[in-house]
Amino acid sequence: MGRRIETALMSVLLLGIVALATLQIILRNFFSYAIFWADDLIRLGVLWLAVIGALAASRDGRHLAIGIVPRYFPASWHKPAAITAAVFAAAITALLSWQAFRFVADSYRFADTVLGNLPAWAFQVVMPVGFCLMSYRFLVQAVDIIKQDQ
Amino acid sequence: MTLVLSIVLIVLILLGAPLFSAIGASAMLGFSGEGTDLSIVAIEFYGLAETPVLLAIPLFTFAGFLLSQGGAPARLVRLSEAALGWLSGGLAIVSLIACALFTAFTGASGVTIIALGAVLFPALVASGYSERFSLGLITTSGSLGLLFAPSLPLILYGIVANVSIDDLFRAGIIPGTLMIVFLAVYSIWKNRHAATRKGTVSVAELKSAIFDARYELPLPLIVLGGIYSGFFAVSEAAAVTAVYVLVSELLLRREIPIRDLPGVIRESMLLVGAIFMILGLSLASTSYMIGIEMPQRLFEFVSPYIASEAGFLIVLLLFLLVVGAILDIFSAIVLVVPLIVPVALQYDVHPVHLGIVFLAAMELGYLTPPVGLNLFISSYRFNKDIAEVYSATLPFLLVLLVCVLLIAFLPQLSLFLLF
Repeated sequence: MGRRIETALMSVLLLGIVALATLQIILRNFFSYAIFWADDLIRLGVLWLAVIGALAASRDGRHLAIGIVPRYFPASWHKPAAITAAVFAAAITALLSWQAFRFVADSYRFADTVLGNLPAWAFQVVMPVGFCLMSYRFLVQAVDIIKQDQ
Repeated sequence: MTLVLSIVLIVLILLGAPLFSAIGASAMLGFSGEGTDLSIVAIEFYGLAETPVLLAIPLFTFAGFLLSQGGAPARLVRLSEAALGWLSGGLAIVSLIACALFTAFTGASGVTIIALGAVLFPALVASGYSERFSLGLITTSGSLGLLFAPSLPLILYGIVANVSIDDLFRAGIIPGTLMIVFLAVYSIWKNRHAATRKGTVSVAELKSAIFDARYELPLPLIVLGGIYSGFFAVSEAAAVTAVYVLVSELLLRREIPIRDLPGVIRESMLLVGAIFMILGLSLASTSYMIGIEMPQRLFEFVSPYIASEAGFLIVLLLFLLVVGAILDIFSAIVLVVPLIVPVALQYDVHPVHLGIVFLAAMELGYLTPPVGLNLFISSYRFNKDIAEVYSATLPFLLVLLVCVLLIAFLPQLSLFLLF
């Protein structure tokens, strides 16, 4: 379910960005016209794509990592190493989520705007929510590894 | 204290913690040591939404993944073979050129070996090249197009180093070609006694191959022509590429069913998410490093030992070979580039030249143990022992090393097309 929502969101965002960017190019070159909010919206779309893509990468265990242990150390090391790594990643993403929440709360308090006069927090909120879900993903990963024992 | 924490972070990375978590942790540790409010990390991450050219990364990545799904790789091989297969060592040269072109468009993420290797490896062996030679050639070719537009690492370097991406695209042409030529000459020389079968000259086959590739052929012309002529900005070229590939592969060819599209989007955006995660957090760690004048300190530390530009380049290359053997190219760019660009400027190394040297050296990293990506992909894809892949790749690695040295010490190779 969660995986499907991720994929659906990423598809809508990516295809929407492609469509909007193409429309901008056509308007600019053939009609000497530009939609003034389009470039900003595309940039915010890229941020959303980045966070949701990172969330999906957390679910699928596809973040860039070095991971010497699984390749060069005995099998008995693998589990403790993977659990430690996942718990650490969960802790850091939780902290990031909290800091991002404070950033968005400030943006709300000062009534920052984007795209003309829309509230900025509504677009920035993807950061705290995304990091929070990533933290949950890493915890699930750690629990799954521990459960493999039984 | 800092030392202990750094060691803890390194151990965590070696245990397999995602790189972004270590980058984020070091940024937060650094800022908290200075008493800076930690929400700065989120503010810096939000910088991802304030960098227009970043758009090029998801669009090119998506287009590359989509392109590698259908029959485009096979058509590219067929066309190159019809055009060049009749030469002595023809199929080896075909492999080099096809892989380089494909890698430039797919961003050196390992897709080349999987998509093209499946076609080229058996073809090379069937034409009389030894299995060992073929394995080494394909493994090496998997990252060969890195220096050609519109490769992802080039774009990322431009963003991180704040250098014109158009300039980088121009600068990569001669060094990238040099690598292909050297590898081609080595391939011909290596097989001078082998009884390799050459293709025949067939105008009919060439025509038919061109017709077969009619939808893909205009793509490099539009994208490269558009970028090099200055008609498109980089992100515009990326949008055009994405639309072009969507229309040609999904609607005209109908090779990839529409229902597979979300899967391709997910796969490509996983990579984009992973790259942006380290990029976003490294914006924070870099801002901390700049704040404490790390590049200046680095320069003061090395300057008593390194007096000249040449000396700097030698030390830099040694350093990059180690970095390339440990880090993937994307992480290496976002972590290392902000630190070395200011230092390089002090030694009068042009930032564009530095970029080409950096990426060329990183290209070797794909082929060096312990974590060389191409070695593992090849070993997995062709079901060979990793040690066998490594020894098969070694001669090619040495040829590329010579190229990297030439690229480093002859800045004109990179800068000639710029001015």
